[in-house]
Amino acid sequence: MSNFSFLFQKEWRENVRNFKILWIPLVFLLFGISEPLTNYYLPQILASVGNMPEGTVFQFPELSPEQILMSTISQYQLIGMLVVTLGFAGIIARERKSGTATLLYVRPISYFSYVNSKLLVMITIVIGGVIVGILASLYYTNILFGAVDIGAFFGFLGTYIAWLLFVISIVLFSSAAFTTGIASTVSVVFVLFAQIIDALLGTYWTISPWKLPMYAGQILNGNFDMTPFVWSIMITLIASIVLIAGAGYFAKRNVSKAKI
Amino acid sequence: MDFESIPWLLILPIIIIQLILIVVAIIDLIRVRSTNGPKWLWAVIIILGNMIGPIIYFIVGRRNE
Amino acid sequence: MKTLLYMQGLTKEYGKEKAVDNITFSLNKNTSTALIGPNGAGKTTTLSMLAGLLKQTTGSIVMDGEDTKDIRKMIGFLPQYPQFYTWLTALEFTEMVAKLSGVEPKMAKLEAEKTLEFVGLGSAKNKKTGTFSGGMKQRLGLAQAIVHKPALLLLDEPVSALDPIGRREIMNLLKELQANTTILYSTHILNDAEEMTDQLLFLRKGKLVEQGSMREVREKYANPLYKMYFSSSEEAALFVEMSPWPTRQEGPVAFISIEDGKPKMQEVLLKLANSNLSLSKVERATASLEEIFLQVVNKG
Repeated sequence: MSNFSFLFQKEWRENVRNFKILWIPLVFLLFGISEPLTNYYLPQILASVGNMPEGTVFQFPELSPEQILMSTISQYQLIGMLVVTLGFAGIIARERKSGTATLLYVRPISYFSYVNSKLLVMITIVIGGVIVGILASLYYTNILFGAVDIGAFFGFLGTYIAWLLFVISIVLFSSAAFTTGIASTVSVVFVLFAQIIDALLGTYWTISPWKLPMYAGQILNGNFDMTPFVWSIMITLIASIVLIAGAGYFAKRNVSKAKI
Repeated sequence: MDFESIPWLLILPIIIIQLILIVVAIIDLIRVRSTNGPKWLWAVIIILGNMIGPIIYFIVGRRNE
Repeated sequence: MKTLLYMQGLTKEYGKEKAVDNITFSLNKNTSTALIGPNGAGKTTTLSMLAGLLKQTTGSIVMDGEDTKDIRKMIGFLPQYPQFYTWLTALEFTEMVAKLSGVEPKMAKLEAEKTLEFVGLGSAKNKKTGTFSGGMKQRLGLAQAIVHKPALLLLDEPVSALDPIGRREIMNLLKELQANTTILYSTHILNDAEEMTDQLLFLRKGKLVEQGSMREVREKYANPLYKMYFSSSEEAALFVEMSPWPTRQEGPVAFISIEDGKPKMQEVLLKLANSNLSLSKVERATASLEEIFLQVVNKG
């Protein structure tokens, strides 16, 4: 396990020097702030943009603070998840393709340390970035729309973090198993498209990792069904562990695919 | 909406974050050896692409390794 | 002499293709061995299996040492085209791989600096590897392969990408390392092998077709070779034309190789006596490795 810290140091340096450590959290922060702001000022913005026929009346529903936080999450679910999947799909595959991985693989490293060093960096950037973004969103929501129940908020945040761990595991596994191009596609399909499918057909089942963002919202609103939620969390955590272990397995198996 | 009524204190962070993203993307653009497509085009996208410009650059434009 | 590494019946198949076909050889401690063969002979595949990057289809690799479970600990490997993380400096990279290879973390930086100095990158150690030229990359590649003082150093075409000066410098560094490192390197440039090699392994289409020390191979393959000096290139060319034996020409010198004692030199001289070519000198020469290589690779 001692190799882990050296590998992590390398991952950290890489993500500092390619600015991922900065720009990905900033994207989450940006959407976290802009969501409550635009929702609050939308009527005024539309009015000032003008060109509306005289006498047009906009009906804006009264938005609750919980709805604003959920609308932040739905931004993360689209743009945020695209950033995570496409931004990290090459985290292992690209090293193999360029040949830089060869000089790591000839050393007595453990492939689980190797994968875990990448996992920890992704967790730090993605989950760290989302926490910062949602806290900022909470602050703005609090000013503009009012307070939310703090216990419910932490339940909501924790549930969403479990979902993010699942996303990270999918991306890491894909990158270990496939080339960067295929890993991007697989990640986008299993993170973004699977959500749509789950939303369309998902009335038939209640236990699914892809339902976690929805459950997070329900927790925030204070009305949720405990049993399917707990099962979904369990399934998600187990799936994540399996995917991470699978990433280690495939990272080792694909050593021979590294360019020599 | 007139100028005074704009809540500058609330909007300022957004402007700052956007500026940081643009500056970081431009610094990166200058430092990397090659991009997917011409560099000048990416400079235009980063500066004029609003919120999304720097993000698109980092995901699509940047050629890693 | 102690054996460091022994490989038996090593085979690598890709579908029906055998990239490496039943190779058996051993490496003695602190000797240097050249894997010689044309492109596609299986040199890189053999080295990659030894480095643990490829798994052999059949066959075994046995390494002497107390902990042979992970032989990567004892190995330094330089690929033909080493690729580095462009965003790391040479020192950062070398220090990192030193730690990964088991160098005491506190000593890693110092060892990295010493090694970079040794390969001639002392002044470039704080430059990002992305800015490095081909020759500098090759030096850094050597540095990362030796920083942890491996027992076995595997080098894939270590000098083929270098200019003659760089080539000489790297070969000199390798000679220094030879004192306490076992070296196995592949090459298709045979002069490299002549420099510093105890054992030669000739690969052809994945098979080990010849092996032995430089002297053994020489004795086996070096047919007597005569250098015949003529007064002009034209005369040498005329001689090549009339010679029924394998003969080639370089300027005013004709090289005639005499297989199995035939033709006898007398016959050659007799032939000459009947011509009006003026021979100024005849000299016995040994075949260069280049010529042996051609013979080994072309036979069978």
